[in-house]
Amino acid sequence: MTDGATTAVAEETLKGGGTPPSRAPSKTLRSPWTAVIALAILLVALFPVLSDDLYYQNMIILAMVFAVGAVGLNIITGYAGYISLGQGAFIGLGAYTVGICVSDIGGSPWVWVPVAGVLAGLVAAALGVVAMRARGHAFVILTIAFLFLVQLLATNWDELTNGTGGITLPIPTWSVDYQYWPFYYTLMGLLAVSLVLSWWIRRNKFGMGLVAIREDEDKAATVGVSTPTYKILAFVASAVFVGMAGGVYGYYISFIDPLGMFNILLSVQIILSLLLGGRDTLWGPVLGAFIIEWLNETSNQEFQGGNARLLIFGGLLVLVVMFLPRGIIPTANRWIEWWRTRGKAGLAGERLTGIDLRARAAPAREAAEPSGPPLLEVKGLEKRFGGVRAVDGASFAVPEGSITALIGPNGSGKTTVFNLIGGTMTPQAGEVWFDGQRIDGKPPWQRAHLGLGRTFQITRLFREMTVLENVVAPLQGFHPRLLGADAVSGREARRAEDLLEFVGMRKYRDVHASALSYGQQKLVELAQILMLDPKLIMLDEPAGGINPTLIERIGEMIRELNAQGKTFLIVEHNMPFVLGMCNPVLVLARGQTIASGTADEVQRDPQVLDAYLGEDFRLEEPARA
Amino acid sequence: MHKVFRLLVVVLALALMAAAGCGDDDDGGGGGGGEASGEPIKVGASLPLTGEFSEPGKAARQGYEVWEATVNAKGGLIDGRPVQMVIKDDQSNQNTVVADYNALISRDRVDLLLGTFSSLLNLPASAVAERNRMLYVEPAGGAPELFDRGFKYLFFAQQATADHQGDLWAEWVTNLPENERPKTAAYPTLDDPFARPALEGIEAILSDAGIKTVYRETYTIDNPNLDGIASALKARNPDVVVHGATFEDGVAFVRALRRANFTPDMLYQTSAPSFGDQYSGAIGKQTTEGIFYGVSHTKEATTPGNKAFVAKYREMFGGQEVPEDAADAYAAAQVLEAAVKAVGTIDRNRQIELADWLRENEVDTILGPLRWDDAGRPQGEFLVGQWQSGVPEIILPEAAATSDEIIPEWRPEGAG
Amino acid sequence: MTEFLQALILGLLIGGVYALLASGLTLIFGVMNVINIAHGAFLILAAFITWSLWRAIGLDPLAAIFALTPVMFAFGWLLYNATIRPIRRAPPAASVLLTFGLALFLEGIMGVIWGNTSHSVRPEYFAQSFEIGELFLPKAQVYGGLVAIVVLASLYLVLTRSWLGRAIRASAVNPQGAELVGVNAVSVAALTFAIGVASAGAGGAIASVLYPFLPGSHYQWIARLLGIIVLGGMGSLPGAVIGALCLGVAELMTVTYIGPEWATGVPYAFVFIVLLLRPQGILGTRLRQDVATA
Repeated sequence: MTDGATTAVAEETLKGGGTPPSRAPSKTLRSPWTAVIALAILLVALFPVLSDDLYYQNMIILAMVFAVGAVGLNIITGYAGYISLGQGAFIGLGAYTVGICVSDIGGSPWVWVPVAGVLAGLVAAALGVVAMRARGHAFVILTIAFLFLVQLLATNWDELTNGTGGITLPIPTWSVDYQYWPFYYTLMGLLAVSLVLSWWIRRNKFGMGLVAIREDEDKAATVGVSTPTYKILAFVASAVFVGMAGGVYGYYISFIDPLGMFNILLSVQIILSLLLGGRDTLWGPVLGAFIIEWLNETSNQEFQGGNARLLIFGGLLVLVVMFLPRGIIPTANRWIEWWRTRGKAGLAGERLTGIDLRARAAPAREAAEPSGPPLLEVKGLEKRFGGVRAVDGASFAVPEGSITALIGPNGSGKTTVFNLIGGTMTPQAGEVWFDGQRIDGKPPWQRAHLGLGRTFQITRLFREMTVLENVVAPLQGFHPRLLGADAVSGREARRAEDLLEFVGMRKYRDVHASALSYGQQKLVELAQILMLDPKLIMLDEPAGGINPTLIERIGEMIRELNAQGKTFLIVEHNMPFVLGMCNPVLVLARGQTIASGTADEVQRDPQVLDAYLGEDFRLEEPARA
Repeated sequence: MHKVFRLLVVVLALALMAAAGCGDDDDGGGGGGGEASGEPIKVGASLPLTGEFSEPGKAARQGYEVWEATVNAKGGLIDGRPVQMVIKDDQSNQNTVVADYNALISRDRVDLLLGTFSSLLNLPASAVAERNRMLYVEPAGGAPELFDRGFKYLFFAQQATADHQGDLWAEWVTNLPENERPKTAAYPTLDDPFARPALEGIEAILSDAGIKTVYRETYTIDNPNLDGIASALKARNPDVVVHGATFEDGVAFVRALRRANFTPDMLYQTSAPSFGDQYSGAIGKQTTEGIFYGVSHTKEATTPGNKAFVAKYREMFGGQEVPEDAADAYAAAQVLEAAVKAVGTIDRNRQIELADWLRENEVDTILGPLRWDDAGRPQGEFLVGQWQSGVPEIILPEAAATSDEIIPEWRPEGAG
Repeated sequence: MTEFLQALILGLLIGGVYALLASGLTLIFGVMNVINIAHGAFLILAAFITWSLWRAIGLDPLAAIFALTPVMFAFGWLLYNATIRPIRRAPPAASVLLTFGLALFLEGIMGVIWGNTSHSVRPEYFAQSFEIGELFLPKAQVYGGLVAIVVLASLYLVLTRSWLGRAIRASAVNPQGAELVGVNAVSVAALTFAIGVASAGAGGAIASVLYPFLPGSHYQWIARLLGIIVLGGMGSLPGAVIGALCLGVAELMTVTYIGPEWATGVPYAFVFIVLLLRPQGILGTRLRQDVATA
């Protein structure tokens, strides 16, 4: 069935096409855009020398300011998925820093531009600390409030900012012959540096963690990503160069006041640039910024008013969100991919065959004997949602080296217990001990670093990442140096490929997770947590929703891993699967552990039968056996 | 298909709405009378025709256009060449105003520049002109900060900078006989670069004369909690209230005082009372009795050329009112005209000569004679107006006064 | 003491109007998980229409509510179906950006039609007040507050007593479940959005008498309303009322004791303090999505 040639073509297809682009921006560089980009850079670099048109020089200067803003915004919005409507505030902060330093301390404005960057970074870090508590809508509201609050401070803090009167900066002292060149080339330099930063972040562990946060923040935490640290660093990275560009911009405009510098339209222009050009791409924000600024100026020159700016920005925002949600570059890439791969599409079906079912000979084994001291111990755990007691004093232990099952009827609190152990939720009372440490106060990523890995009832892979990226995403620890490490280093890639080989998914390494079937996702999620090299693996319904052959495969893998020394805690409804493999079996009902023991003991326990409404439970067994 | 259709519908709808809106904006500029001949001299300006400052911006454009028509009817600016105004819209936006003046200088290659409206926009715009060594006479940017930068090409074509707007009135108050002189004063103001300095200037003079400040607060246009302010004023009961305001909040403030049933002995407002019938209509004719205000121009003024200006304005734009901002713009253009005619050049490389001439000479305008210090600050005094029997009158300086009586207090229950 | 009481009364009166405006916003959020950034723009639009009616035919702004509510309802319904409905399955961020775009566009339209200067509606009673001893109660505020209470009460009746109200509440609690029992979530969402916009219309008519407004005022209004619903707990109607009264009083206290220039900052301070101390707000649990989804 799978002769070599077909497989090769299929793999080729899977690697190159059929999947959405924008895996990593570096890929974009190698695409047909390279020549276009090189030409554009050359053109922009030479423009002031070739033409003395101040109108266009001014337009490019402003476009570059917004481009720096959009490249920065891309780090938190494009990579980490946090929408900010307050990015323009950092332009204002930078401008004010330069303005205040020049008028109160003196010196050339250029000297203070780096200070502006530092200040913007500090403010961003502070905002990041507050924003740790806000996601989604709350975060958007926070960024709006932040922008207006900073504007209000600039308006009312007269002693420092001169209020609405604003601050005037000295006009440039260099010869008129050089026009605005120093502004122009400084901004070009800043844009280049921020692009390098953006590119660097995206290709290393830092960027990978941010994308993991964007795709699924809770999941990211459970695979060891220290989300607050990542987010705060991302805020800082997104603001520093914007602050510097703001400083240059303030000097260029020569006048700084709260209305102009913290105008929400600056933020709109930045976010519109990013959305139009394309989130999570390297050049999208730059392309967007140039288009928007050109549109802005042209409409102004052509239409002569009519609140044109608001109509264009507002209308464009509506249109982009509705009809071009991915932005220009990703959409264009898609078309190019489609053009290239048209006619080859039929081969996509190939990937579904031949892999899942590959039998691996592994001897069937009896349920493992419980052994050793408890690796995980739960004491008197409680969790209430409003008036509902989801977990009500659950206590149990998972012996080291065991395959422990946690069963119970629907709504008995199994998944909540998992969430409490994994750290996705915090209990109202009770203790969780793992490997001799009390962990119930620790955040999820620290639990992961200690050796606790878990899967989710409904698989939660990072959908926009490839299979390989998904598997290398977990982090076994945290160290600043780690952030700078390559996203996928050679050693990791080899280890990840071994794990993928183990679960039988190696051929899919470059496929996007969103393209996998449900069963395949389960396998990848298993490989993903194995990357953490955990001591305890918690599986939430590993056999749920997949075909019998695959259930068998997963059972084999669990035994094999157990033989290698991994401890398992499994929540499962498939009784034959559980009873054939697990010892001890813990039974949870109404949030309490009502029984524990071997499969046989538990099955005979009247309390258990009662909890399961008796007949259903007994009927289920012969049906599946 | 469905999606494409929806896109079309949305785009069409947006475009229609936008087009419906933009329809009423006609083009700026356009040639004036045909009496002058030769290649036109291009005079460039950017004004806030849309956005926050659009009302005064549009009035300023009318002022420039009246001047354009007047000059061309007289046979052009110099060498028999007519004037052609090139007016752009800066949308009340600082980025745009910088872009506009850059475009005027390098793309439209205008010969001369005129200023924009409001200090906020003139600050960045004047820097562009200074950088390009172009004379920059501006009609409406009185914030003192403008003139602290040592610019050589910048001139303000009103009687005084904002911080001196109320000098004449404040001095009149301090010179009142001891028993009529107020003892306490309150200074609520809109946070505005024109209103605030005006109030600070007045407060400096009044407090030097021993009039105690009992209230000084700033509010923003977004959040004019005027009832709260009126209630606070009532509790402090000042003899005189000096209010820094634009039109709407000025009106709303007077009505808030009425609601709180608080009547200070004297009430001075910036800007709002100079809006004529609009003002008396909004607060009620009788309520206006005795309210003081500062103003740069009235249509009744006897300054040279004012009658002709008022007539021309009414001919071109109709209506009875002549906006102060149109007069200010006209005066700025008169200043430019005087300098160009005296020096006899529009050469872009010789504009420093125009500036030097202005520094040394006095120019007659419809606002009265104007002269400047080295930094372009005007050295004159604003007029003081007062509403009397439902009509705005000029009471100070005496030379320009239209009424020889000064009502010593605010009488919101009406005259008599 | 008089000053304090005066500020308290003025704050509660304006708070009643805020409550009406915030109720629409919180209702929309509760049912469809959309933060309608254009809510402020809708209310300013209603204020401008009220102004035009008052100018053209001398219609009292409070009477204009009867004309405005159905018009704004229809406008909201159309807008939902034209713009928000097609993207209802997109990530939540999409709706924020979309409504933000709508707000800007509306601001532009209003600027074109009515100009960018301050407007205010000044009916006869605008400059009058009731007096109780030392205290004064401006008639405009009193009437506005009363009308707001009436509209809010009828909204509450609709939500608790009608089939539509039950469907709306069911959709808010459990959209899938509501679908199962025959509630068409999309049309309920459209009606909810329309009701929200209509309430902004009623509130806008009242607000036109209280504060001068210009097209750009919608930023300040949306900031206020967001502050209110964050404080009250997003999606909670009683929370919105409590949050609104708190904001009204806090603003007036700020004007009286700290300075009017800081009044603008009160809603932003609310947002920051609430997010730091009690992210779910006074009566809500939905603000922190991690809690909601985990």
